[in-house]
Amino acid sequence: MKTAIVITIAVLAQAVGNTLLSKGMKDIASQPAFADGFSLMMLLSAMQDPIIWAGIVLLILFFACFLSALSWADLSFVLPATASGYILNVFLAHRYLAEPVSASRWMGSVVIVLGIALVACSTKSSDVKRADGKEATERSETC
Amino acid sequence: MLTAIMVFMIVSSNAAGDVLLTRGMKEIGDISAVSPLDWLRVARRILTNWNFLLGVLCLSVSFFSFLTVLSWADLSFVVPATAIVYVVTVIGAKFILKEEINRMRWAGTLLVCLGVALVCIP
Repeated sequence: MKTAIVITIAVLAQAVGNTLLSKGMKDIASQPAFADGFSLMMLLSAMQDPIIWAGIVLLILFFACFLSALSWADLSFVLPATASGYILNVFLAHRYLAEPVSASRWMGSVVIVLGIALVACSTKSSDVKRADGKEATERSETC
Repeated sequence: MLTAIMVFMIVSSNAAGDVLLTRGMKEIGDISAVSPLDWLRVARRILTNWNFLLGVLCLSVSFFSFLTVLSWADLSFVVPATAIVYVVTVIGAKFILKEEINRMRWAGTLLVCLGVALVCIP
């Protein structure tokens, strides 16, 4: 249950965080001062934008949740579970940033999540070995 | 074209950052600090490790490139497209960190590539 809550917070924080960053950057880019295109000043003004900071705080929250979930749960579970956020990201961009999302883009996002799940499955055996090895050294230390 | 270059920059700096951080943390070794003095020692070891510091620098470059590209490109394109970082990191882990990559991981990596290709279809 704890894992489910932390991963849900992580996925939501990352997707909403990215959406806020995108919204903030597009708002800044649409200002008349930056009509000539991208400039370094744009990044400086981004660092003074509350929407961008809200996005950064949410991404930090994502990272903290991701790391704490890893401290007790398997990477092979946490990685694909948080990767599902790719689909939520596309959904939020479509719903709240009014981005047109083609069928192939939706399909691509789903295939990416499946691929990450496979990569994560493949880490299981080596992680178990490492965990065993660590346990063994800890035991020998206490001996 | 500029978007493609930026995605390439995000991905390569992110993967390089991950590989450097991993190498740095492996050099630093198992962190099992108990007392505040132990924590200070660990912090000093981390903050004087060049691999770690370069890794953080690479990840910052990646983040600011991400912010930059978001000022004109679609989030629903940039986020899935940068998933190719999983592929680059696996290749980096194999050739730089000499990690063993099994068939299942290559299969997953290939699926990620396929997904990214689908996302990139205009």
